[in-house]
Amino acid sequence: MATPTKGNVTNLNQTPGANNKTQNHTHNTGSNGLIIAQFTMSNARTYTGCTYGGVAMTQLYQISRGGLSQRMAFFYLENPPTGNNQLRVNFNGSQFNPISMHIRSFTNSGGVGASSRTGGQSTPNTQSLTVEDDSLIMITSCSINAITSQQIPTGTNRTYTQHNTNRQVATGAISADAGHSAGSISLRSSSTFGTITLDRTEIKGLSSSVDTSGGDFFAMF
Amino acid sequence: MIIISKIELEGTDNLKYTDIGYTTDINVANEINEDYDSTLGKFLGENRTKLTLGEVSISTFFSGVDSVNEARIEVENVDGLGISEITNINQL
Repeated sequence: MATPTKGNVTNLNQTPGANNKTQNHTHNTGSNGLIIAQFTMSNARTYTGCTYGGVAMTQLYQISRGGLSQRMAFFYLENPPTGNNQLRVNFNGSQFNPISMHIRSFTNSGGVGASSRTGGQSTPNTQSLTVEDDSLIMITSCSINAITSQQIPTGTNRTYTQHNTNRQVATGAISADAGHSAGSISLRSSSTFGTITLDRTEIKGLSSSVDTSGGDFFAMF
Repeated sequence: MIIISKIELEGTDNLKYTDIGYTTDINVANEINEDYDSTLGKFLGENRTKLTLGEVSISTFFSGVDSVNEARIEVENVDGLGISEITNINQL
């Protein structure tokens, strides 16, 4: 196994003012590509689809956080077109509230794995995700109050981008390059006070195509 | 790097975003966003519900304004985007 290779990142926090939002993003060259997109916006609208380079992305989840009046979603596409292409997310009507968008490319990825979501809980919100060997984990959170940390695993602060969608959103936090050993990984999100959500998704590593754990040898005399 | 977007009216009710440059200077980005926040951002903030319900049109804001700039897209590189670096807001 090998951990996925992290590629280009695009973060955006704008008001679509239309029934879609587009953004150019450059996907890295390399085999076993994966592009993911995390969105958060007012739940007055729903996400009706997402494309990258004109190719439909798969919706992993879309969830309304009623207490926060927000809707969060995760889309992905394996082996997307490389180079600079347009990502487009569509809504069921014009969205005049800001959207948080995080777009990230990977190569050498085995795709998207386990994923779980937990709604607002008193800070800190500590959850877990069971992953395979050499996987990475991405987390995202939403709160009324300022978000103060995203920890992967619990106790290890990871960098993230804080967006304002009329709520506070932390997006883009991801494991260190070394990845995780297989098993349950504790994760934590924190805000200044009140409640905070914690959604987590596994980015799988690549299964080794060559068995290097052993082999047949012939003694030559 | 922060991409600078030009925002215009498209049709009668939609916003159109066009990437027009990028900056590595947070002060340039802040200056652009302060102008946005006090103009289009203020209008959107005051009219979100009415805009969503169709009771107010975004064209109202653009009746006396051609475009507004915003700098709220962060990228690691601008390869292939065909945009130039902006070091001074007067270049816009």
